[in-house]
Amino acid sequence: MIRSGMRLPIALSLAPGVALFATFFVVPFALLVTSSFSEWSGLEFRFTGLENFQRMLADFVFWRAAGNTVFYSAVGVFVQVPLGCLIGIILAQKIRGWKVFRAIIFVPWVISGAAFALVFSMFYNPRFGLLNDILALFGFASRHDWLFDTSTARFAIAGTFAFVLGFTMIVVMAEIASIPKELYEAAECDGAQGWRLHRYITLPLLRNAIGTCVLIRLLSDIGLFDIVYILTLGGPNDSTVTLALYGYRAYLSGEWGFASAIGSTILLIGLVLILSVSRLFRLGERAQ
Amino acid sequence: MCSISRRVLSGTTRLARPAAVAVTLAAAATAVASEPIVISCGACQESPSDPFLQYNYEATQRFNTAHERRYHVQVRQNQYANSGGPERLQYYQRLAVADDLPDVFLLNASEIKELRQTGKLRDLTQDLATDISWRDSFAKDVFSALSDDNGRIWAIPQQRDAIGIYYNRDMLASAGYSDFPETWEDFEAAAEKLKAAGHIAIALDGAWSTLLMWSNLIGTHPEANGFLQEGIRYADDYPLNPAVVTATETLKRWHNAGYVNADAFSGDFQNAAAAYLSGEAAMVANGPWMVNTQLRTNAAIEGLYERTGYAPSPGWEPGARGAIVVTGAGWSSGHTANDETAEAVLAFLKFLSSPEEQLEQARLTGARPAVKIEPEAIVASNLEPLGSTLAEQADSLAFTYPHWRVHAPGLFLEAWRNLWPAYVRGELNSETFLQRLANDAGAKPRG
Repeated sequence: MIRSGMRLPIALSLAPGVALFATFFVVPFALLVTSSFSEWSGLEFRFTGLENFQRMLADFVFWRAAGNTVFYSAVGVFVQVPLGCLIGIILAQKIRGWKVFRAIIFVPWVISGAAFALVFSMFYNPRFGLLNDILALFGFASRHDWLFDTSTARFAIAGTFAFVLGFTMIVVMAEIASIPKELYEAAECDGAQGWRLHRYITLPLLRNAIGTCVLIRLLSDIGLFDIVYILTLGGPNDSTVTLALYGYRAYLSGEWGFASAIGSTILLIGLVLILSVSRLFRLGERAQ
Repeated sequence: MCSISRRVLSGTTRLARPAAVAVTLAAAATAVASEPIVISCGACQESPSDPFLQYNYEATQRFNTAHERRYHVQVRQNQYANSGGPERLQYYQRLAVADDLPDVFLLNASEIKELRQTGKLRDLTQDLATDISWRDSFAKDVFSALSDDNGRIWAIPQQRDAIGIYYNRDMLASAGYSDFPETWEDFEAAAEKLKAAGHIAIALDGAWSTLLMWSNLIGTHPEANGFLQEGIRYADDYPLNPAVVTATETLKRWHNAGYVNADAFSGDFQNAAAAYLSGEAAMVANGPWMVNTQLRTNAAIEGLYERTGYAPSPGWEPGARGAIVVTGAGWSSGHTANDETAEAVLAFLKFLSSPEEQLEQARLTGARPAVKIEPEAIVASNLEPLGSTLAEQADSLAFTYPHWRVHAPGLFLEAWRNLWPAYVRGELNSETFLQRLANDAGAKPRG
């Protein structure tokens, strides 16, 4: 029960936060959702009902973008997160040189997406790129254009993910550091050794951390844009396009209402993912 | 002090007070009167890496000094000042919606088409009509890309460039060509010999330089029917125009025959430029500005500039060569009212299009003047000879035409970059490629 004399100070102290929330979240969100049911180019505004969504669902590029987004998300969840966990668990054992490895693996996560993409555009370059040079050392000399061949472009983009393991690694290492040593000692007394210690103690206690990493990875991949935009612009023949890039194209062509419909769809997918992953990993619940 | 003196002093004081007030008011009025009219420029920021922006910046300083008491151009920082992609158009569209366009800024022809629909661009037709000597000072056809179908002029041309093909004279000579090939048939024969000698015949990038060659193939085709001037805007014209189909298929053949660099789809002109500048490629298409920005810098191998020629495009028939001649961009204004600010805007535009400034721009950037200049003045200004020679030669060629970007719809480049690699690799046929290119680029149906 709030005392009547406290109501005004509480309201005043909440006001800046509420104003900021309304300005930077509620208003843009309302604008996004409202305009997704309209034809809008910045100058003229006309409600068109579900037309934008119908058009989106009938466009084969949308389905290609959706398929690619699912593919990139799957690579993120099933390759990036497990690899990051594995490295995090190994480095948490404080093996020799672990600090150096930690720094090296963390660096790609820190640098900007644009710089990261430029490095990979050179790595994959068919004329002077490092990848073809490395393959030539193993007898696979070719001038394959990894980014602009529809059969390899999607995998070339996904291949860059393998270098961004730093976030999962750090989260896992931090979580492992908080696990009481007594648990391991007790398990060792009961005869558990090596991998079984991690299987029955570390991994169950990492559930919240792994769930968080999966969630962040998914939310990041569902809106994947910069690396695809810089490396391939969504091509060739839309083989690498993502939902975010598909929406951006609509925005560039002045179809702001259609772009909002795509944005709303991404938002909806994100919401479903948050709820699903939170439930699956029981995020926020204390580990048993 | 005697009483007379006191009276005199008292009288003087009484007179002095209003006089002082009057002097102060007059001084204030003078200060107000001498306050210069300030206008904003969205393409005049200092840039150590872009010679065009740097020229604009220096020209602005000269204008401000010359008109110190009357006008002042204020530099408005703009991250899109030297780019020409859809992001820049979006940026200006947002400013137009907010009624906040700069008083003076640079736009290319396709951006003008989109932005004039906002109603926030100044129609410069009347301004030119009221100053006949200014209007008549411009070179032939420079307003065509900057005007609409009704003849209204939306920008003052920045330059008038002839765009050709750079070639390594030594490499072509080693393939048996003392002069640049005159026909596309000869061009392909030369490319075959260059390839056999282990060279890249022509450096492409899947975007700018590829599309310059596409424009050359179309522009010199006798059945082009003004595709680059008009048809490129209409979706129906792409797969139906024989020149477009032939040009597209020819360009594809060069890729499959191995005449081009392995990274010819990268979308980054620097990859094509690097192939030429490193001496790996024999030819690359680009504008005259490449001399100052790359060919005469450390990016090029030693002595390459001296070994480089700059030629017009080959033609489909002997004696039917052509060149891209283009007013790539123009100075537009977001100030539509006719007031003191408009007076300052026009003064600045006239200053930028004066023969002296156009020559200074040519000297710094390599871009050719958009105004008529006496041949003696051009000789005296000692302009770079490669670009100058082609510009003179262009007037006597069988074909002159704009490049793709002048009239293409807004998303043309993005659509091309997306579809071109798949088409070259045989995943799309010519008709599908051209129809999708037109649709994805935003070309409208005729009528």
